[in-house]
Amino acid sequence: MPTVRAGETIRRSDRRLGVAMLAPAVVYIGLLVAVPFLLAVFLSLTNSSAGSLNFSFVGLQNFRSVTANAVFRRSLRNTFVFTFVSQLAVIVLGNVLARALMKPFRGKAIARFLILMPWAAPISLATLGWLWIFDSTFSVINWILKVVGWLGPGEWYYWLGDTTLGMIAIITIHIWRMLPFSTVILLAGLTSIPSEVREAAAIDGAGTMARIFLVEVPMMRPILTVAVLFGVVFTFTDMSVVYLLTRGGPYNSTHVLASLAFQEGVLGSDVGRGASVAIFLVPVLVVLAIVMLRSSRQAEVV
Amino acid sequence: MQTRRQFMIKGGKLVAVGATAAAAGPTIYVRDARAAGSLKILQWSHFVPAYDKWFDPFAKDWGAKKGIEVTVDHVGFADVVPRATAEVAAQSGHDIHMFLGLASAFEEHVVDLGDVVSTLEKKYGKQVELARRSTYNPFTKKQFALSDMWVPDPGNFHKEVWTKIGKPNGPVTYDDLVWAAPEVKKVAPQMQIPIGIGLSQDIDSNMAVRNILWCHGGSIQDKDGNVVLNSPETLRALEYAKKLYSVGMTQAVLSWNAASNNQAFNAQETSYILNSISAYRTAQDNNLPVIPNYFFVPALKGPTGIMMASEHVMSGYVVWKFSKNQEAAKEFLVALVDASRDSMLASKLYNFPSFYGAAAEPNTPMAKKQESGAAWIAAQCNKDPFGSNPPDKLALLAKSLPWSTNLGYPGYGNPAEGEIFDTYVLTDMFAKAATGALSPKDAMLEASNRAKEIFNKWRQKKMVPGGGKDK
Repeated sequence: MPTVRAGETIRRSDRRLGVAMLAPAVVYIGLLVAVPFLLAVFLSLTNSSAGSLNFSFVGLQNFRSVTANAVFRRSLRNTFVFTFVSQLAVIVLGNVLARALMKPFRGKAIARFLILMPWAAPISLATLGWLWIFDSTFSVINWILKVVGWLGPGEWYYWLGDTTLGMIAIITIHIWRMLPFSTVILLAGLTSIPSEVREAAAIDGAGTMARIFLVEVPMMRPILTVAVLFGVVFTFTDMSVVYLLTRGGPYNSTHVLASLAFQEGVLGSDVGRGASVAIFLVPVLVVLAIVMLRSSRQAEVV
Repeated sequence: MQTRRQFMIKGGKLVAVGATAAAAGPTIYVRDARAAGSLKILQWSHFVPAYDKWFDPFAKDWGAKKGIEVTVDHVGFADVVPRATAEVAAQSGHDIHMFLGLASAFEEHVVDLGDVVSTLEKKYGKQVELARRSTYNPFTKKQFALSDMWVPDPGNFHKEVWTKIGKPNGPVTYDDLVWAAPEVKKVAPQMQIPIGIGLSQDIDSNMAVRNILWCHGGSIQDKDGNVVLNSPETLRALEYAKKLYSVGMTQAVLSWNAASNNQAFNAQETSYILNSISAYRTAQDNNLPVIPNYFFVPALKGPTGIMMASEHVMSGYVVWKFSKNQEAAKEFLVALVDASRDSMLASKLYNFPSFYGAAAEPNTPMAKKQESGAAWIAAQCNKDPFGSNPPDKLALLAKSLPWSTNLGYPGYGNPAEGEIFDTYVLTDMFAKAATGALSPKDAMLEASNRAKEIFNKWRQKKMVPGGGKDK
């Protein structure tokens, strides 16, 4: 039967094509994700140091030592605070900006350019600018607050010398950095909602809040999930702002897990300990990914 | 027009070629240092930029004379260790790597430079003791690095302010700082931080807190490598820091980076800092208003009578075992020490020779070389060729050797001391005690436990001695 044979050939050819199309992604993930991950797990069970290729197995000693350490416990807490607060702010502010950009107004192109700029700026350069803004001795914010009378004589905010203010500074910069991406994603989600839906809701008497939370947000759920998933994973694993701004100080109180892992593993040469700190990121990220992907699948429009 | 099949075949070939190329070599092309006739040097970006302008042509000229192509790459001081870690992991990179502090963690991967030191000592006499203690491991008996220079770390004080409070020559003891802080507030209320000693996670603070600890009789380890941080002397140093912080400092010092104390002093926002002369040279180069009041004092005395300061920078050149130009690398290091006078002048008196004899007058007999070198160094400091007013402003630097010491004092520098330095265990302890985040005793116990943990780890690797008398 020539028709059946031709069908099989096409199916086989499609299967081969599928394998060929997937292969680069599988190889990429294998080499750049799976291998380093397994290596990190392996190293966390050793006393490996940066200056040596020799090591011996120490079992769970690194994990025991790390969990007993107050700096680690503080970093773990900071990582959650950093991620939760910055992502919440990014999603809320991103929504506000996206809604503003949907409206026509004069200078919209310039506004869009300015909103996108932080995304394009290299974080190292941008953080240097912020370093001056938050500098404990020469802070521009403080000088302005002095001029407008908010800060009296002898009053001063030590942005990077105080644990709470330090975390606020770190979160502020991260929000500034992530906001453009979130805004663009949410803008795409908002513009994809047909205007008839909004009109129908308005005719049915839905107010602004009801329209946003009962109509638009549910319809934007898949795209919101992408924005939140990406933002959370990126924030949870990021160390650049902390490392460039406070280097974990004052007294190692503003570290997140990623920056602490770098300090212990690379700067302190204790690769095994650094790897064990980094490993603590994994279970949280796995749970987050599963939750997000599941909720995204449920929200998919069939 | 291509069919889908043709497109896939061509695409597949392209991917295969790309993958092969990626597997065969790194994505970023690094010239192979093992190529015959080439020498790659990783050098820090000097705090006095004029030095780099001297060093790069010096290295290339040396190479040209030897028929060796020399490449010098500069990195910021914070990237020296991460770059070394990456090169060791890759077993590839530069032939010579310059460390600013302790290179001891990398001992296993570097060539023993005992023969280089021996050659230099035959030419110039002994190196200074703090250089030997930073580059030699008596436990493994390995000369893992070579130091060509070290940098003194004096106190910098604001002459006008200290004159107004009745101490025109600046502080002499640590207690002077506590006494002076409220006085400075009275005569210079515009200064934000009367006493500017960093307690943050940076290189300068790391040295400052060691100075305070040592001068109060404490230390991380004893001379034999036993951890002795848990001691009444450490407690005394922490109580001192708490007192000084409450009367003379603000939270700003908890956030300082390596440039912050320079900037605060140069902006006349503080009356005393601990720093090398790089901040002063910056002020000179920019003709800042602080210059007439920029003066120096030696290390301060603690209540024990000890007067000690850590070196501000200690060069430690290593030659990697994976280098195939080890002999050329060693020759270059000898030539670098030979040029100690030029090096000191190029750095505007920032670098001090580790081999004093290398700065001696030519044809000086061997027995007199160190003396002659010291005299030449003193002559530069006593009459600064770079425009100090008065010309002898830097004279105290010529006498800085007796009060300067190495990381790891009173023992040798070792990887455990290096890790404690790089993970800010001591600055953390001082900052917590000073601010009241922990009581001095709790801060000491926390740091002591971490120090013992780090030392034990390196002892298991048989790179650090001691342990029998840990406190």
